Amino acid sequence: MMRRLKNNGLSLFFGVIFLLALGGQSVVGRAAYNEEQRTQGRAEVTYTEYVTSSDFAVDVTENWQSEYLQFLLYILATVWLVQRGSPESKELDQAGMESDEHEKIAEYANADSPKLARVGGLRTTLYGWSLTILMGALFFASWGAQSIAGLARYNEQQLAQQQDPVRWAEYVVAPDFWSRTLQNWQSEFLAVGSMVVFSIYLRQRGSPESKPVGAPHSSTGVTD
Amino acid sequence: MTPLRVSLLALTITLAASCAGRTEERSRAETAAVAFYEAVAQQDGIAACALLAPETQHEVETSAKQPCDEAITDEDLPDELGRVTETTVFGNEARVMADGDTVFVSDFDGFWRVVAAGCTTRGDVPYDCELKGG
Repeated sequence: MMRRLKNNGLSLFFGVIFLLALGGQSVVGRAAYNEEQRTQGRAEVTYTEYVTSSDFAVDVTENWQSEYLQFLLYILATVWLVQRGSPESKELDQAGMESDEHEKIAEYANADSPKLARVGGLRTTLYGWSLTILMGALFFASWGAQSIAGLARYNEQQLAQQQDPVRWAEYVVAPDFWSRTLQNWQSEFLAVGSMVVFSIYLRQRGSPESKPVGAPHSSTGVTD
Repeated sequence: MTPLRVSLLALTITLAASCAGRTEERSRAETAAVAFYEAVAQQDGIAACALLAPETQHEVETSAKQPCDEAITDEDLPDELGRVTETTVFGNEARVMADGDTVFVSDFDGFWRVVAAGCTTRGDVPYDCELKGG
């Protein structure tokens, strides 16, 4: 039991802090929402009403979509783009899709390679893109959910101010939708870009996200 | 039953329940607007004021400097709501459009109340409403 916990510590840790943060967001989000309701002379909502509301849904999904976009772009950009000196980058001469031999697929697969890497053909090609496909699907699903929840939230505010609601096609080109979207995108792009550059010169002893402390600044793609 | 089928079934039930809930909310929002106009038409100030949102009730009393149930029947509202043509609900807010007026209502703990009535559209800016809270 303890061994299983230890072997899965990273995913368990992030799973737990995700749930704690989401729970915290729901509690303080409801408090902020009810404060706004009181200001507008409207009724306060219960916890259950808040966590099933468009206000909570749009706040959650606008962050989810940007996180999945961040990883989607990172996974794809690091295939073709390199950064000299960064452990986040491949070696400078390895940019591109790499050979079947390097990727250990089809006839180059090992005995312990996943079955989908060994079979070859379309299934292996799709498996070779499976991480990007999943991240892309999660990004578009979250972004789509943000547009629907955002529309409901925006229209609730419109009606509260005696204004006409808008249609989905109008909302997805409206400033509210793009403000929510871009404020999240810029922070994700800044964080990833900072990580790529900072990791050239700075170190964290023991972390696979860092080069070894004694590795030269010029070494690229070296994490151990 | 496979996990995929269970998920699809759960999604279908959730969507069906959500649609049913929306229909019910629309009906209750519409009922509030209709009942408010009926009370005003019958000069029943007490019933009409009971259907107003607290802020709107306060505004009626403040501007008329008399109790809501006496002031509400003097408000310059259309003679009748008329046939309801469209009711739109988002969250706790709704707009009831009818041949005679456009009324905005809000959900107060499961009880829909009139926030604004006697409203005329002005395009992209808020409706111009004869009766309005806040």
